[in-house]
Amino acid sequence: MSDWIAIGAMGLVGVGLPLAMMAVSALLRPSVPEQGKSATYESGEVPTGTARVQFNIQYYMVALLFLVFDIETVLIFPWTVIYRSALEQGASLATVLTPMLVFIGVLVVGLVWAWRNGAVKWVKSPQASRRKTERKDA
Amino acid sequence: MTPLQTLPEWAATAPAIVLALTGLALLLIDTIDPDSTNNGLLAGTATLGALAAGGIAAWFLIGGTGMESTGGAISLYGDALVVDGMSLFFTLIFTSVTAMVTVASYDYLADEEYQGEFYSLVIFAATGMTLMGMSNSLATVFVSLELASLPSYALVAFLKKDRGSIEAGLKYFLIGALSSAVFAFGISLVFAVTGSLVLPEVAATLAEGTELVGVLGLGVLMIAGGFAFKTASVPFHFWAPEAYEGAPAPVSAFLSSASKAAGFAVAFRVFTVAFPLETVTAIGGGSVDWSLLFALLAVVTMTLGNFAAATQENVKRMLAYSSIGHAGYALIGLAAITVDGGAANGDVLGASMAHLLVYGFMNTGAFLFIAMVEKWGLGRTFEDYNGIASKAPIAATAMTVFMFSLAGLPPFGGFVSKYALFYSAIESGFWWLAAVGAVNSALSLFYYSRVVKAMWIEEPSKPLEIGSQPVGLYVAVIFAAVGTVLLLPGFQPVIETAQTVAAALF
Repeated sequence: MSDWIAIGAMGLVGVGLPLAMMAVSALLRPSVPEQGKSATYESGEVPTGTARVQFNIQYYMVALLFLVFDIETVLIFPWTVIYRSALEQGASLATVLTPMLVFIGVLVVGLVWAWRNGAVKWVKSPQASRRKTERKDA
Repeated sequence: MTPLQTLPEWAATAPAIVLALTGLALLLIDTIDPDSTNNGLLAGTATLGALAAGGIAAWFLIGGTGMESTGGAISLYGDALVVDGMSLFFTLIFTSVTAMVTVASYDYLADEEYQGEFYSLVIFAATGMTLMGMSNSLATVFVSLELASLPSYALVAFLKKDRGSIEAGLKYFLIGALSSAVFAFGISLVFAVTGSLVLPEVAATLAEGTELVGVLGLGVLMIAGGFAFKTASVPFHFWAPEAYEGAPAPVSAFLSSASKAAGFAVAFRVFTVAFPLETVTAIGGGSVDWSLLFALLAVVTMTLGNFAAATQENVKRMLAYSSIGHAGYALIGLAAITVDGGAANGDVLGASMAHLLVYGFMNTGAFLFIAMVEKWGLGRTFEDYNGIASKAPIAATAMTVFMFSLAGLPPFGGFVSKYALFYSAIESGFWWLAAVGAVNSALSLFYYSRVVKAMWIEEPSKPLEIGSQPVGLYVAVIFAAVGTVLLLPGFQPVIETAQTVAAALF
């Protein structure tokens, strides 16, 4: 028999066991819905309002820039690993360093552009700034 | 002529390097003063960059870079990139279209925001397309395809306050993302069969034979699907009418001419170098006959594109379907390849490449004329084009040239390129492909002449007011018209170059 049957069995049990437990308990338990049981758990506090908070859209720009520079970091890692051994094996400093400087340079140009054009400026919607001043005055 | 052997090898990718530097320069220009935009400086830099890259490509092509006379194709960075005649020829197509689009955008974008972003996106997309022509490895093909596509998604959705533009951009992006996923999966299947991503190595491994013919066939089919999306061929053409109609007209010109040619560049290279027909039709116990697949796609694409264009009421949508039809004609280049074709294979592929060059000029010109009409605010249907010739005779003449050239009528470039394509298809033995093409060309004359008739013969229902004479758009349209006309007497060097560089692939 193939060795993969063990992996398949583990996958099946891993999915099936929780589903089976939930199904059996749902069949066996009595159903008594109460307000205290169905309210959202908020670590003992009384929950006020809904959980739907509008996040500042500026986080999107932060996340986008983070993604770009995170990938840049990942791509720099292999280069750092071979850097020393490449120099020891006789490659000149220019051939080892220049491609990475070009790579980082391209991304720096992009960062400068994004910075100057306000991509990292923390903007608030007019509604949010009004709410902030109202709360300050209150 | 300076001996090219004195330049370092990486200088062979100079067109791509120039375009990338132009894109970065545009970003830096935009950085200087974020609150204002210098439209002229941006458009000028973009155009200069595109023309410089095109000039370098032409210089390399004339000097014989990457061709047999100077030592064969130049392979760089561990076979990831290859610079040969075909990549330089396609670079010429991309840069000429880019230059016309950036000159026209100077007027089209005059009242818009985000001008720096527009030009840099166009130039980065052109860089991606140039790299697509130069890719020698499936990984490079994928990355450069994405580099060319992602700016295009943003460019289609550029008019942020226009619902049509946003909707078109979203549709294009979703279908494009799906096609990229299919394409990447096809690449992974081919890698599973051959163990290599570099195109010549894939061919060498396949020549030794493999048992996984089914997996290979599926991989080839999915890769063909990815290319069919990029070139807007049936059955992956659904994004094209929406994207071309909703996008700003210079972006439609850029997409339908340059992006389509880029898809063909990479399709030609991958299928002739990585999956040579004589290898994949005699593999293991089965056969992956992609020339039959492309013949089928070519016929369906030509027919559907032309018949759908004949029923349209919106001029931009009509042109979008007509560009799908032209993708069908260009697919004949891949469809007419045979195992024992020899020189005829190079001829038909070269004719297809030459047709893409001529098509670049006439299609860009047509869409830029539509950009002019959009700028004048006249409307989008055929009726709105009534009587334009009385107010703007030069522009209307240029549009007439484009329409008749697209239909393949005699004294324009479109006639010779279609003639050469159909002739070389017949020479390869595919007379039925040429017959379908000729019938579709005849049909296309109907809807192209609808535009001409509206402009010259019909009377406008209400008096036409054409306010301004936008210089940039005029220059671009007239340059495209002159190019289309000059490509008739000047077709001989074009077709010879194209057929020589195509023959080098076989």
